[in-house]
Amino acid sequence: MAITSISTKSIPAPRKRAHGLAITLQALRSAQIPIGSGAFYAFFVALVCGLIYPSLANFNLGAYLTSNVVAGLVGAKLPNASSFSALIALELYSSFYGLIFGGLVAYIAGAALPTTFENGTLDLALSRPVSRTRYYLELWLSAVISALILSVLTVFAVWISTLFVTNAGVSWQWLLTAQATGFAFLFMATGLGMLFGSFLNSSRAAGGAAIGIIGLFYLMNTLGGLSDKLSWMQKIQPFYYTQAVQALALHSITWWYPWIPVIIGLVTGIIGLVVFNRRDLPTI
Amino acid sequence: MSTLEPVIVIDNLHKSYGTVEAVKGISMSVERGEIFGFLGPNGAGKTTTIRCMLDVIRPTSGTIHVLGLDAQRDAHELHQRIGYLPGDVRLPGQMTGKQVIGYFSRLQGREPVLLKDLVARFDVEMKRPLKGYSKGMRQKIGIVLAFMCDPEVLILDEPTSGLDPLLQKTFNEFLLEEQARGKTIFMSSHIMSDVEKVCQRVAVIRRGELITVEAVEALREKAGQHVTVEFGDAVKAEELAQIAGVSNVSQHNHSFNLTVSGTMDPLIKAFSRHEVIRLQAEEAPLEEVFLKFYEDTGAGTSPAVNAR
Repeated sequence: MAITSISTKSIPAPRKRAHGLAITLQALRSAQIPIGSGAFYAFFVALVCGLIYPSLANFNLGAYLTSNVVAGLVGAKLPNASSFSALIALELYSSFYGLIFGGLVAYIAGAALPTTFENGTLDLALSRPVSRTRYYLELWLSAVISALILSVLTVFAVWISTLFVTNAGVSWQWLLTAQATGFAFLFMATGLGMLFGSFLNSSRAAGGAAIGIIGLFYLMNTLGGLSDKLSWMQKIQPFYYTQAVQALALHSITWWYPWIPVIIGLVTGIIGLVVFNRRDLPTI
Repeated sequence: MSTLEPVIVIDNLHKSYGTVEAVKGISMSVERGEIFGFLGPNGAGKTTTIRCMLDVIRPTSGTIHVLGLDAQRDAHELHQRIGYLPGDVRLPGQMTGKQVIGYFSRLQGREPVLLKDLVARFDVEMKRPLKGYSKGMRQKIGIVLAFMCDPEVLILDEPTSGLDPLLQKTFNEFLLEEQARGKTIFMSSHIMSDVEKVCQRVAVIRRGELITVEAVEALREKAGQHVTVEFGDAVKAEELAQIAGVSNVSQHNHSFNLTVSGTMDPLIKAFSRHEVIRLQAEEAPLEEVFLKFYEDTGAGTSPAVNAR
């Protein structure tokens, strides 16, 4: 055996180091691009609304917005759509909000776990004193924080847009209620995304599948709004229970509806946790 | 260097993926302070066994204990005391070496006390984003990640893969230093010369079955010596083949190549009856023994299982 110079120098015992939320922060760094895209969308739409509102204020869109087709597309019937609140509600808090921001958040959550497999950090992290439960929950937390960031930025974008409109008349209490309702939907998207990420090994596949489910819900909501015979289709998906547009434009909401998407998010997220804890992790 | 205290104990480990049985009832133990080689061809079950040890995958049956802790039940406690180097080190491309080391040090929950020494010894690039790193540079970061928090047990999957010969030598020297500091090292490898230089014992696995667990010295004895001899008179190959311990006799005119295992005494005595013009003897490379184990003899299970 070729033994060269061997030193046995003493090395101090390593001191403990705070773990903090290292996994969450790392995941948030990875989600910068989708969060940035969402922020850009919110600010762009809000600014456009603020700038074009004076021209739109004189249009009568009542007949258009109360038709079943448009109501299906935006997720609510708005009898009076001439106010700035109604315009902002339509553009930022209708079903489109759930579709676009929900899709973004679902992608962030769906990709969170598989990304760490793809970039090789999953095995390395789990070979350290980090339980799978903690790993999963920290990634889920990063997706929830992403949703929260997008929510705060959306409210901020609406505030910016009101600076362009005289007497905008936005009720801040109902704006926050609308945003909280929207956040409940985004929370559901995080749970759905985490579920797909728990068993799919590709970030694009998991994120794409989660977006696909949000898209499916949107389709069910739209079709369900076309006819009373299809209303059951609306009631079995979460867009129906996300009354953000009603909150901001009509100042009304069914108080327990936001809990439905929250519960769906919790249930799907917890199922994902069980799946992740039980499965064999893939080889590279 | 090692004491007879088992640090890693694998007992009847089975792992199946659907109908494919990747590991078929492996049992072996690694002693404290030992560098233990885990060898086998591609797809033999080495990485599967290592991933079971880390609880990244769960055994179908059987148990693994490391430092007296159950690798599955006590994973959290165990992982505070081990270091792991994966077979293919992949890291997030947007992070720098410094960032990735900080991240995994936080996950380990301990300060990286060996970091300075490792960075200097292996000349690790810390400031550039990892996406520009070659395989060898990533491997160096992987080595730093495995050793930096000074763990008691190291589990290394192909540790010298991608390293240039100079760094392989540096790494082997480093392993021996770590062993002298009391570390237990379990490493899989394809590079026989590395195994020969640093390991005290080796296990050979093929198609999920343990073929042998032996001391490197014993294997070296089994490998024997290669002898080249040239006679001045006529000697028949059959005569040499009959000598105790002699095998693989080949003849070219008056020259013979042969392999001797065990003592050389019977061979020397037989040569003394003839006129010897030239005689050369050298140790047979261990690689030949390993390759014999690797070859599929079709005999099924272990020809020489000697697991402790």
